[in-house]
Amino acid sequence: MYVMHNSEHPLSCFALFENGPCLIADTNFDVLMVKLKGFFQSAKASKIETRGTRYQYCDFLVKVGTVTMGPSARGISVEVEYGPCVVASDCWNLLLEFLQSFLGSHTPGAPAVFGNRHDMVYGPADTMVQYMELFNKIRKQQQLPVAGIR
Amino acid sequence: MSGVRAVRISIESACEKQVQEVGLDGTETYLQPLSMSQNLARLAQRIDFSQGSGSDDDDAPADGDAHDWAGTGAGPGAEQDEDEGLVKFQPSLWPWDSVRNNLRNSLTEMCVLYDVLSIVRDKKFMTLDPVSQDALPPKQTLQLISKKKSLAGAAQILLKGAERLTKSVTENQENKLQRDFNSELLRLRQHWKLRKVGDKILGDLSYRSAGSLFPHHGTFEVIKNTDVDLDKKIPEDYCPLDVQIPSDLEGSAYIKVSIQKQSPDIGDLGTVNLFKRPLLKSKPGSPHWQTKLEAAQNVLLCKEIFAQLSREAVQIKSQIPHIVVKNQILSQPFPNLQLSISLCHSSNDKKSQKSTTEKQSPEDHLYVLEHNLHLLIREFHKQTLSSIMMPHPASLPFGHKRMRLSGPQAFDKNEISSIQSTEGLLEKIIKQAKHIFLRSRAAATIDSLASRIEDPQIQAHWSNISDVYESSVKVLITSQGYEQICKSIQLQLNIGVEQIRVVHRDGRVVTLSHQEQELQDFLLSQMSQHQVHAVQQLAKVMGWQVLSFSNHVGLGPIESIGNASAITVASPSGDYAISVRNGPESGSKIMVQFPRNQCKDLPKSDVLQDSKWNHLRGPFKEVEWNKMEGRNFVYKMELLMSALSPCLL
Repeated sequence: MYVMHNSEHPLSCFALFENGPCLIADTNFDVLMVKLKGFFQSAKASKIETRGTRYQYCDFLVKVGTVTMGPSARGISVEVEYGPCVVASDCWNLLLEFLQSFLGSHTPGAPAVFGNRHDMVYGPADTMVQYMELFNKIRKQQQLPVAGIR
Repeated sequence: MSGVRAVRISIESACEKQVQEVGLDGTETYLQPLSMSQNLARLAQRIDFSQGSGSDDDDAPADGDAHDWAGTGAGPGAEQDEDEGLVKFQPSLWPWDSVRNNLRNSLTEMCVLYDVLSIVRDKKFMTLDPVSQDALPPKQTLQLISKKKSLAGAAQILLKGAERLTKSVTENQENKLQRDFNSELLRLRQHWKLRKVGDKILGDLSYRSAGSLFPHHGTFEVIKNTDVDLDKKIPEDYCPLDVQIPSDLEGSAYIKVSIQKQSPDIGDLGTVNLFKRPLLKSKPGSPHWQTKLEAAQNVLLCKEIFAQLSREAVQIKSQIPHIVVKNQILSQPFPNLQLSISLCHSSNDKKSQKSTTEKQSPEDHLYVLEHNLHLLIREFHKQTLSSIMMPHPASLPFGHKRMRLSGPQAFDKNEISSIQSTEGLLEKIIKQAKHIFLRSRAAATIDSLASRIEDPQIQAHWSNISDVYESSVKVLITSQGYEQICKSIQLQLNIGVEQIRVVHRDGRVVTLSHQEQELQDFLLSQMSQHQVHAVQQLAKVMGWQVLSFSNHVGLGPIESIGNASAITVASPSGDYAISVRNGPESGSKIMVQFPRNQCKDLPKSDVLQDSKWNHLRGPFKEVEWNKMEGRNFVYKMELLMSALSPCLL
């Protein structure tokens, strides 16, 4: 189980499993986990975080950050969010176009999150799932930093 | 009757004669008894021969009467016999027969009585049962004594009651001077919340129950006032109850909000300007503990307001940081302007009373803002008790209801900020102060202009309805005497917190900043434009033709304030034309165009051969406007126009 925080939602805490449910909770969830320390064993993997600047371009929100694990930097993460739309399938093309404008050849394909539920409403949990997948991918890689873009 | 001894009765007839008279010496003369013939005559008179034998019934009771006189004498007895002899045909008995009969009857009766009594005495077959009967009236002395005793008992009870009443009346009168502790406590309870802790009575004068979150405890203690000397006269304002308020709430306090033009040196900061405002007059008749407690509560509220303001001053980031020094908060709403909010708390020591009061100008202290601060903090109190805050789970801090969902529903920053009210007390009060200052400055500008400039008159109509953050005023620029004609400049000024928005009559919207020079310049330019507009309107009225009109001319010297405006009008006959150029700084310049044939110094040329060309308008000549007759510009213009349009017969 992964516990994640996002500065975009400062008062929330996300707890998610791979291919499993994602819980969105209050920040008191961390305190709860501390109290339940005796009942589970925390994985040895250290904390991964991505930290950077947030740019707002009309309806688009672009966040470029450096992914660091401990003291070492592992990669760069770029997040693009299109505010007005909540249904993934409707705006994927627009997002792709936008990404192509500055990423060029590195533009990724459609995220796996969109795969099953194309017409469902997109939520913050989906963002966290994507980040989780990205971090896992980075963790599995070797020490050589490779740009992982999501 | 058997065994009863015979009773011997001696009877003697009283041969008494009726007394006729009693002499003076006691001798009695008797009536001679009636003789036989006289008796007979008397009896014969009594017979009613008309009735006959039917008169037996009537005479029977007469017989009965006659019988009753049995034992009285022979005379009546003799009559009896004769009565019997005449009326009833009865055998004449011997004269004592009736007597004997009566005696026998009485003997019988007596024997019966004796027998009954002897049987009753045995109590075997008969008993005597007393019948309740009225008590025999006692003797008079006994009656008197018993009455006296009962009256004494009643008097005793009444006296006891009267004694009790007089005692309570005297007690009440005593109590007016020396009020009972418990009754005072009751009065105190009607106003304040009290509770008993151990053997102490504590009260609460904080606003916590009204929604305040200030951590001061605000408890006061109620103590019995026992230092009265009963021998001496009790003073008028003696109260058996006294309250002891916390030491930091003693005295009186108020929040002073003032705006100063110059910003003082940094070294001057922290000079606490404490001085005593005259104490609020307490309501007459309210006990001294009420005034004391109210003053302490006011001090607590002022402390809370100041604590909230200083907390916000430190936490909230603003472009120009606020300075918090001791009991003052300084901030700069506008450049060269300083707003100071200070908590003035004067305790009732003798030391502070002796200090001379600082001379302060009444305009300095903005009472409105102090009042508003009190209202705002009360507003804040009410919010903590409102339905969006209460009830709340015990594990969550005080906050809006929707904030509890912000975590589980992953609110982002926009949504969070929309729930939370971003403005704190300090920001609100600064905005209000800015608005008050801007409004007063705008009013001062308009008034100074109005007093300085006479020609176009400036009028300001302030709206009664205004907001804490916005006021509006309607400014009219008119010429005296021509208000109906020249009313084209009407401005609506909306004075906000930092800007003044001007809406022109023709729809233009201009936004002015807080600088007072901008407003002044704008008004001056509008005044100059008014003159030219006035000429235009006047021309319409006078029948003159407007040849050209421009609000902002591009020719001529550049004005530093606004632009110059110009107009050219031609007379109805076409002979003359007046050209006006008016600028805010350069003033007005009026030129008149004459027809060619009136100008003397025209160069003759061969181009114009016809004389008809001499009727056209030619060169311009300037008018010495300040020598012109007329009290204002439009009047002068009217005179000029009328002078130039001659009436032709």
